[in-house]
Amino acid sequence: MNTPLLSVRDLRVYFPPPPLPGGKEGSAIHAVDSVSFDLAAGETLAIVGETGSGKTTIVRALLGLHPPGCVQGSIRLGGQELAGLSEEAWRAIRWRRVAMAVQSVGTAFDPVYRVGEQIAEPLREHLRLSASAAAERVNALAGRLGLESRHLRAYPHQLSGGEKQRAMLAMALSCGPEVLIVDEPTSGQDVLARARLIGLLREICRESGASLLLISHDLAAVSALAERVAVLYAGKLIEVGPTADVLERPRHPYTWGLLNAYPTMSTARDLRPIRGGLPDPTNPPPGCRFHPRCTQAVARCRREEPLLQPLPSLTCGGGAGVEERWIACHLGGLQTLLRADGLRKAFPSTELRACSTNGNGRIEAVRQASLEVLEGEVVALVGETGSGKTTLGRLLTGQLEADGGSIVFEGRDVAALDPARRKHLCRRVQLVAQDPFDAISPRMTVAQVVREPLDVQSIGTPQEREERVRDVLQAVSLPTDAGFLARRAHTLSGGQLQRVAIARALVLDPKLIVADEPVSMLDASEQARVINLLKDVQSERGMGLLLISHDLALVRKVADRILVMRRGEIVEEGPASHVITHPQRAYTRALLQAAPTFAWGPAAKGAQGDEAIASSST
Amino acid sequence: MRAIRLRLNGELACGLGLLALFAVVAICAPLLAPYDPHAFTSQPLERPGPAHPLGANDVGQDILSELIYGARVSLAIAASAATGTVALGTLVGGAAGYTGGWLDELSMRLVDVLMTLPRLPLLILLAAFLGAGPVQTATTIALLFWPATARVIRARVQALRQRGYVRMARGFGGGPGYVLLRHILPEIGPLAAAALVTAAGRAVAMEAGLAFLGLGDPTAKSWGLMIRFALNLSGLLLTDRWLWWLLPPGVCITLLILALTFTGMGLERAWHPGLEHL
Amino acid sequence: MMLRQVSRHLPQRLAGYLLTLWIVLTVNFLLPRLLPGDPLAALLDPQNSDYVFDAEVRATLEAYYGLDRPLPEQYARYLTGAVTGDLGRSIRLNQPVGELIASHLPWTLLLTLTALGLASLLGVWGGAAAAWKRGSFTDRALAAASVVIGNTPVYFVGMMLLILFGARLRWLPLAGGRTPFAHYDTLPAAVADVGKHLLLPALTLALAMVGAKFLLVRNSMVGVLGENFMLVARAKGLSAGRLKWAHALRNAILPFVAHLAAHASMAITGAVFIETLFSYPGMGRLIFEAVGARDYPVIQGVFLVVSMVVLTANLLADVLNARLDPRLREA
Repeated sequence: MNTPLLSVRDLRVYFPPPPLPGGKEGSAIHAVDSVSFDLAAGETLAIVGETGSGKTTIVRALLGLHPPGCVQGSIRLGGQELAGLSEEAWRAIRWRRVAMAVQSVGTAFDPVYRVGEQIAEPLREHLRLSASAAAERVNALAGRLGLESRHLRAYPHQLSGGEKQRAMLAMALSCGPEVLIVDEPTSGQDVLARARLIGLLREICRESGASLLLISHDLAAVSALAERVAVLYAGKLIEVGPTADVLERPRHPYTWGLLNAYPTMSTARDLRPIRGGLPDPTNPPPGCRFHPRCTQAVARCRREEPLLQPLPSLTCGGGAGVEERWIACHLGGLQTLLRADGLRKAFPSTELRACSTNGNGRIEAVRQASLEVLEGEVVALVGETGSGKTTLGRLLTGQLEADGGSIVFEGRDVAALDPARRKHLCRRVQLVAQDPFDAISPRMTVAQVVREPLDVQSIGTPQEREERVRDVLQAVSLPTDAGFLARRAHTLSGGQLQRVAIARALVLDPKLIVADEPVSMLDASEQARVINLLKDVQSERGMGLLLISHDLALVRKVADRILVMRRGEIVEEGPASHVITHPQRAYTRALLQAAPTFAWGPAAKGAQGDEAIASSST
Repeated sequence: MRAIRLRLNGELACGLGLLALFAVVAICAPLLAPYDPHAFTSQPLERPGPAHPLGANDVGQDILSELIYGARVSLAIAASAATGTVALGTLVGGAAGYTGGWLDELSMRLVDVLMTLPRLPLLILLAAFLGAGPVQTATTIALLFWPATARVIRARVQALRQRGYVRMARGFGGGPGYVLLRHILPEIGPLAAAALVTAAGRAVAMEAGLAFLGLGDPTAKSWGLMIRFALNLSGLLLTDRWLWWLLPPGVCITLLILALTFTGMGLERAWHPGLEHL
Repeated sequence: MMLRQVSRHLPQRLAGYLLTLWIVLTVNFLLPRLLPGDPLAALLDPQNSDYVFDAEVRATLEAYYGLDRPLPEQYARYLTGAVTGDLGRSIRLNQPVGELIASHLPWTLLLTLTALGLASLLGVWGGAAAAWKRGSFTDRALAAASVVIGNTPVYFVGMMLLILFGARLRWLPLAGGRTPFAHYDTLPAAVADVGKHLLLPALTLALAMVGAKFLLVRNSMVGVLGENFMLVARAKGLSAGRLKWAHALRNAILPFVAHLAAHASMAITGAVFIETLFSYPGMGRLIFEAVGARDYPVIQGVFLVVSMVVLTANLLADVLNARLDPRLREA
């Protein structure tokens, strides 16, 4: 690897406390804290973060615009150290080697001078060009960006936002900088303007060979333009890696949450906000800055700040492996809750069945199934009846013993555990079954049902158990009064009963819930309520949810990843958005086609779907 | 009226302190002044001495007493002129800002014209025709300064009228009277108070100026009048008489204006800490 | 900004100017006739203390004011007179008012323009420098000084300067526009003499005005320095000089020009006091003496002319403002 063009190490920007009226002092702001990154020549790096994360502060530091004494650390551009330069020295660097296009383009121009003059200004200052030579260059630049001479002759207030945006880019490129910094170029613009701008930026960088540092919270623009992305949270970089990789498989809990909160055309899944709020810049939390909002925080996270460290990359499509992923997390990123490899399970066949025999009288329900569920993730396992998904579910929750393969839960191999530990494991994984009437003893009262796991595991005093029961019933929006607690299970409706089942599953505070067709036996309105409930609870507690279902339409609303299972094998897997919009296998396509929609017209979709499935079973 | 909190800052403290001093002097003039300022108590142009700390003027009246009683005149006229200015300005500006429409247009045209006319010549014109006297002086000053106040008040009232809570109050069925009293007046109050103080400062300057020009009340012992008489004395500047006759009233005028200005600035700062100040 | 939107059409401004001028004329006409005490009639009433004894002057006054005519006719005669330059006759000096004004106006203009120029230069330069170093001791000291000086009555400042430079140090003359009865052989000699007499009055008037200008420019400049385009300009690597003058000041000057328009009348006010104090032979002195003598035609004439001067200044400043700020030039 060549030495990078721009190398930032341990950048820290600190603003002294402002004087408040009344003679008091405000608090100091640590806007940027130990940020390090590299930018290679010709590369595009995106820095992603929300408002107040410190993005603009970094930009200003790279141009030396902060008051002296506020910035510490090293900024090396092409071997020259920029941090600590005098104002005079900075002036020579600014715009010639590093230029920026600011976010608020409406106020970026001096209102009393013509736009063309202002674009030419740095040319005349830095390159000492004559008026005519500068004008020539400006015209050429303007032409490349789609601006006409009438734009150049106009005053800033006479141009539209998009025109000003292009003029600003022209101004930034005028001296041919090595590094172009673009701060939120797409904010506030409509989709068409955004798309045009993204195309423009791509073209410019390709032509001029400049490196582009893109500052944005617009993930779509980032994925279209940047080769690498760095995620900034509260002034610290928490994840850096190749763009496609990071956006597809984010490893840091914050990045993960950010992606979940971001609407795009390809996800039908509902938006989930990240719980909690951004930290106060004058008083950041101790330890990891994200820990108050993180669902997998441990004690160490509260005490120590994690450093940005490299992790082996997890490229989905078999990447080159040279690109590294950097993460700032004590736990190395999102925890893998469950990892199953090559699971096998066969049942002796009581009767010959055409499609799942291997020839020696055994039905292979599950064949070489491997899957993974991360912290806070919803993984959906879809397939037809008889595909083996229920069996797989039972294997994963320990209700059945696998014939082969391994199950690792929270880093521990389940098979290797002794019975005591196994029992303990039950607390961490729970199952919600399809039929609540079956899964709950009809004679028990609600209180007894929900309390049962606590009793079995001997957790807490009876009072504490009562307390817990009430808490968990509240979490599933069921009444907690004595009357309800005393009701017999058989007096409840299907939906209520299923919610009781969920409450029961929650009472041990598990980390993973396996839900096998949790709503298929319920009425539609109840379905909606229960599935939303599951999702709420899951996201709030950071639990993993393995949702087993045949209903693709439902799964689409809640799943992050989808695994398609057919005849005991997992035939396709990937991010939900991918699987639904670009299914790879014919079987998946057939399933999608057959999924319930409101079809109008004589050709019943169902019939088409059946044919498709039949034809694909070769 | 909800309680208006006032945080004391440097300017406010300074200004109010000085103002209080002048007020005390003015009120207690009979107690503080050694003589009746109208009485002829000494030789004309007598130099300062134990009997007359500031000497005597050209007709033999004690300068110190003149100075002390002058505070009364200045403060009285300043107060009345300022009150008139702010009252008129608030009335017109408030009505214009709240009602809008033709009343607003008309008032603002009037304000524009009045503000374009050169003040002092107009003042002189008025004073010349109206004659001298404290009432006339106060009235003319008020008539000249109210447009500026009206503009400021109108702008504020207009802004307030658009505020959500005012519209809500009207939505609840509150009539204009209620809205004015409950919502607008408490907001205008501080603004009017600050305007009052500033107007008073300008009134002091104007009154002294008018007296200096000979348009004030010749019987009232005003500081401006003292300066006028002092300057009338030929060759005053070539002796050192100016030190005790010319300087004291000049300094007093300046100090009183400064006191009022600082108070005004301090009030503004206390109620609007966001404003860019020094 | 609480100023009403300045109309951008020159014709509209011109129309406004003429309207105000008409109002001035009318006020001038109506005021003496409406005020209590009937001052004009008093001039012609033998019982009154203001009675004009000189029969010739009295006759001219009667003719000019035409008090026995119906009001509209008086108005028409007055207006025609104003347009043709007939503003009556001075009671005190028995000269046409127009002539008096013509001989006094140049001195006032000389004084006011010099003072304005001086104050503007000082205010702009000082304000820009202070804003560039905002918060520093220099900045705060200058601002405090300008508040104090701005609030000191102009005649007091003048008095102090007069005492110091005129009486004590004897550097500059005590009174007058030029040495009385002086004859000048050469132009430089004339300029030097007039200049010597002009210095103190102009300086005093400038000091009276500089405070407000300084503060205005400083605050405006501070505001501009915080604007986004200044950050971009700095990021462009422009030199400090270019940033300060070509960009910051160029923008900050706009409210200042508007201020000039609004405060042209302030200059006149100050001029009246200054001329009185320094016995400077300008309009202020004229009106001061006229007031003492209840010389109404002169007072009215001066008021009229001064108003016109102020209105013209306003108009010019508006035009200048529009030229400087491209945002105001739109239709």
